[in-house]
This record gives sequence, structure tokens and C-alpha cells, in this order.
Amino acid sequence: MVDSTLPRSKSKDLPPDIGAARIAKVYAQAIVEASDRKNCRAEVIAELAHIVRELLPRVPAALHVFASPRVSEREKISMLDTILGSTMLPTTLHSLKVLARHDRLGILPEVVEAAEHLLDELAGRRRATFLTAVDLEESQQSMAVLQLEKLVGGAITPTFRVDPELLGGMIVRVGDTVFDDSVATSLVRLGSRLVQRSVHEIQYRRDRLGSA
Amino acid sequence: MKFNTDEIASVLREEIDRYESSIDVREVGRVLEVGDGIARVWGLSGVMAGEMVEFPGGIIGLAFNLEENSVGVIILGDYLKVTEGDEVRSTGRLLSVPVGDAVVGRVLDPLGNPLDGRGPVVTTQQRPVEALAPGVAQRSPVREPLQTGIKAIDAMTPIGRGQRELIIGDRKTGKTAIGLDAIINQRSSGVKCFYVAVGQKDSTVAVAIDVLRQHGAMDYTTVIVSGASTPAPLQYIAPYSGTAMAEHFMYRGEHVLIIYDDLSKQAQAYRQLSLLMRRPPGREAYPGDVFYAHSRLLERSAKLSSELGGGSITSLPIIETLEGEVSAYIPTNVISITDGQIYLQPDLFFAGQRPAMNVGISVSRVGGAAQTKAMKKVSGGLRLDLASFRELEAFAQLGTDLDAATQSRLDRGYRMVELLKQGQYQPMAMVDQVMMIYAGTRGHLDDVKREDVAMWEKEFLTFVRDQMPELRKAIDESNQLDDKSEKTLEGAIAEFKRQRAAALVVQPSSTVAAGR
Repeated sequence: MVDSTLPRSKSKDLPPDIGAARIAKVYAQAIVEASDRKNCRAEVIAELAHIVRELLPRVPAALHVFASPRVSEREKISMLDTILGSTMLPTTLHSLKVLARHDRLGILPEVVEAAEHLLDELAGRRRATFLTAVDLEESQQSMAVLQLEKLVGGAITPTFRVDPELLGGMIVRVGDTVFDDSVATSLVRLGSRLVQRSVHEIQYRRDRLGSA
Repeated sequence: MKFNTDEIASVLREEIDRYESSIDVREVGRVLEVGDGIARVWGLSGVMAGEMVEFPGGIIGLAFNLEENSVGVIILGDYLKVTEGDEVRSTGRLLSVPVGDAVVGRVLDPLGNPLDGRGPVVTTQQRPVEALAPGVAQRSPVREPLQTGIKAIDAMTPIGRGQRELIIGDRKTGKTAIGLDAIINQRSSGVKCFYVAVGQKDSTVAVAIDVLRQHGAMDYTTVIVSGASTPAPLQYIAPYSGTAMAEHFMYRGEHVLIIYDDLSKQAQAYRQLSLLMRRPPGREAYPGDVFYAHSRLLERSAKLSSELGGGSITSLPIIETLEGEVSAYIPTNVISITDGQIYLQPDLFFAGQRPAMNVGISVSRVGGAAQTKAMKKVSGGLRLDLASFRELEAFAQLGTDLDAATQSRLDRGYRMVELLKQGQYQPMAMVDQVMMIYAGTRGHLDDVKREDVAMWEKEFLTFVRDQMPELRKAIDESNQLDDKSEKTLEGAIAEFKRQRAAALVVQPSSTVAAGR
């Protein structure tokens, strides 16, 4: 039987649409491979990330236009040419145009996400989220990262977040693995252990009474 | 109720003292969607097929489908409490159930949680629900008999310990009754019994438990209930968890009888799960591996070699057919897996022949070796005789004149049919069965009226028990009907007939006297 009860925590990082993520992975792989041939892998991905993180938030309607089937493929391509034509590497532009031609420009953020994952994977780097109850100091952060790198045996890209509900301690997440040393979880475990012990005690005494 | 705060504080203090900051390492995922007993989970990238996962609130599930971007999980518990976005953690363990003497006499759900209100099952022993069946080298041939106490079965389709004998028939033909009779008959045999109710009405199961309790059978029986209202995942795993509990006793060298009532419902639950998981449907919309679902279950019934203790699991799976259709998908599958089948027919049932067994197509492929010598001696040829009687009977209905020989064969047949009738929950000892079948096959009942056969049987068995206990003892101990016992038995029958005739002569006059 299962001996502990998990605290009911709602996720803030629910996955995006997995259908889109699956398609994005294929495009991301193609883009990474294509840029590899031109020896500009990092640059292309950085440019795409720049579009998604810097340009698109400034013009919220842009993504809608990208995703809309009402805007024709030709219009999208000419838009890309006029806006980005002069500033981007040719491979970046080609990648965007290929996405536009296949009517997949709407999932650009997912493609970038997938491509970054792929780059991390290729470089043997892993992403880790550090969740703490209070803000960590710089030195503490670097110590935590160092410790984790030793544990997982590879470089990591850290993200730090604060959640006062932890009460204390730290939760580290690398991929799907969670290292949980938070006070909140410990308390829950302590509670369920106490309940279990009492139930056992009650049962034991009842059995003894019954047999007497 | 008053709490003793000091006590609580001391317990807490102790806990805190002993508290080591052990880091809780877990592999997690998030619920994407949930419904109908299944959940689709994002993450859990390292989970293995069949691994147990845990939802918030202690609800457990099984990783069922591993897909490229998500994991399909079947939820073993209240799936209404699982919501989208919940964290799911893998446990690195296989689903296991409590086993051991603590489960005997209990009514449990497929996860081993008590349903009988008699407190938790206190045992430290667990066994994985899915386990590999014993291999060829670990088995020995089926030789020992498992007496069901039902004359028709023990004489014509005998069951051996370690055998799988299918009970198949339409609804309301007495399938469950055979299983319950077989359990009741194990009272003095030391065989542990398991009754796995899958997809049955809870009222039916309650009656079955009540019957077992009334006959004192709950002392050695465990009932695993997954009723019609429980979610499909639980119905699907119920037979496996029952078998896991039974295996514990088998590997300890004991003998177990397990009834799966019924596997067609389990197949339907599995079909539901598979379709919800979007596994491709095959014949009758069952998934492609429904055969494997049943074969891996029934393969776990075995007779172990003497090096492993010689324990056994005998299983009586039940399959319900629709309108006698034995060539449907699930019935043919299970017929091909088992070592024989007992086929029950509604027309026989309504003609008053109970158990309503069709002798012609019921077989036992390995049980013959397990029959006691005495039973083998008296019942040899009984099946064929009855089958040829059925043919003759069809002729006789045409109303043609029959010669004396045919007529006498018919008469013998009618009496044998009467003899094989047996009331529900009245299992009969092997000795009594041997004596009665001897009397029938050797023609001692030919001069008894058809409607009197049951009465004759009752009186004769009482007569032997009261007046010739040494005869019963001789057959029971040697398991044989040697020449000496046979002679004594002949003598007993003759003596009984004499006494009975005398009593019948006296009776009418006494009635007349009373009437006056």
C-alpha cells in the first residue's frame, strides 16, 4: 500500500497543448539540423527566441496574424520579408518561411521551446527549477547549482522561483524528477505516519481485546 | 473523547527526534485529462509499463499506455477525486496486495482493502498482482483429485488439483452454484478457497457470501469483490489480485481452489479500458491481447513439483454465454486455454436436471488421472452410456415400439439421469457418490420408480451410514472399491432393498389403520 499522501498542489507549469508540442519537436529538429549545416546553430535559435520573447510580446496581434488561416501564405511570407528580411540570418528567415508555408507559424513559441530543449540535450545540459520559500542569495544559488550539477553529473541551466507555501527547505526539479526537501512535504509525511501508527495501534488493541 | 495532549506531544517529540531529513525523490507528471477511470499524464518520462503511480490523496494508478508525449494511467480508486493538473508520482513499485493468513475469511476489494467492516487486514506480506506463471520445470502433472461434491462432475468430468476447468453456460443456469458447492465441499479437505466476483450485482455477491457463511465455508474462504458499480480498472485487476493471494498459499505447499465469477465481465472491463486508451479494437471490439489477459491469468493455476512443496491452484473460471453461443470470441478463447469445460444448458435446467450439465460436450482433459480408483471403477463408461441414452430418448419420443433390450437401456438411462440430479449446496462425500453410482450403473435401481430415485438414495445412504459404517470406512480409507468391498456393497444393497420392501408393505396398512 502507498504510505504517504501527497499535498494537493496545482501546477502553474501545465504543459502546452501536447499535440502542438509533438509537431513543434519535428520542426525544431529540422531547424537545428539545417542551421548546423551552415554552422550557425546557436545564432539561429537565439534569433528565433528573440522574436518569440522580445518582438511578439510587444505586438500581441502578431501571433494571431501568424496563426490565422485568413491571412494567406503569400501575405505572411511577404510580411516576414519586410519586417525581418534585412535583420535576420537567411537560415532563420527560411525557417520562418517554411513554417508559414506549412501553416505552422502559430506554433512558433513551441518550436523555439522544443529547439532550446534539443540544444540543451545535445550539449548535455539539463534544466532545473529551484523552488524555495524565500529568495536565495547569489552565493546560495551558485552553491545549490554546484551541488545539483555534482548529483546529476552534468551542466544545468537553473531557474529560481519562490513559493512561500513550502514553509522552508527546497524543491528541485530536473526533468521529471523532483528532489523534495521542503518542510511542507515533510509535515504531510509526518502527519500520515502518525495517523498510520494510531490506526495500527487501534487495530492491535482491538485484536487483543477480541482474542481475550 | 478526551485527548491526552501530553501523550500526543511526546509522540511528536519522538518523531521529530528521529526525523532524518530524508529527501523525497520522485518522478512526477501532471494530469492532462481524466475520466472514465483513466487519466492521461504528461511527464513521468521514466515510468515503466505496469508500474504503480500515485495521485494526490493516496489514489493509485497503473501506467498502462506509454506514448511519445504522455502516459495513459488506469486509476484504481475514485477517479472523480483526480483533477486536471494534479501531480502524479511514480513509485518504482509494482501493484501488490496483502497476502497471508490474514486474508482468509475476509471480504476484500481487488486492492486488498476490507469490505466486510472487520477492520484492516493486518499483514506484512505482499505479493505483486501480476506475476509470472510457474515454468515447465516447476510443475508436476495433475494427479490428486479435487472433489467438488457434485456427482455429475466428480464422476464424469473429474477435476484434479492444479487443473483449470471452465464452467460455461447462459445466464441463470447454475454456474455460480457449482462454484459455491465446490467451495462448500472443501470444508474438511484443507483446501483454501477464493471467490472472485467480477462485475456481479452486489446483491448476488451478498447472497453468495451469506450462503458461504451459513455453510461454515467462510472459515477458509476469501471473497474478492469488484461489483458492477466499481470502475472498470478494478474489475480488470480483480482476478489477478485474487490469484496473487492464492499463490501465496500455493508456494507454501498448500492447495487452493479459486473461482473467477466471471471472466466475460472482466473481458468487458478490459475492453472498456482499452478502447478508452485508444488501443485498436479487434474482433467484437476486444483488444488484440484479450487472449493474453486470460491465458496469463489461468496459467498461474498450477500443480507445483514436490521440490517446491507440491502446492496447487485449481481454478474454475466462469464464462457467461449469450443464447448458448460458445463460438463467440471470449468463450472460444477461454475454452482453448482451460483443461476442459462443464457446459450448462438452460433447457436441461428447466427440465429439472440440476446441475444442468450437458454430458456430451462437457469434458475434463486431465482430471481422469486424478480420479480415485473407486470412482474410476464405477463411473467408467457412464458418460458414453448417458450420451447414447440421449440419442435413444430422442427416438423413443417418436412413439415407435421398442424391443425389450432398448427399453431396458432407456429405463437405466432415465434412472441415471435421476441419480445425477443433486440439490444446491448439498455436496456429497466421495464414498456416497461411489456407492450410488455403483447402484445405478449395476442396475440396482432398475426396479425403483423414476420419481423414487432421490428418496431411495437418501434412505440408502442413511442405511449404510447407520448400519454398515465399516463399508464406508473401507472405501474412504483405501479410495478403492476392491472385490471385498464390492461384495459387501452388493450385500448392503440387497439388505436395504429387503428392509425397504418390508417397510413399504407395512406402511400402507398403517396408513389405513390411521385413517380408520
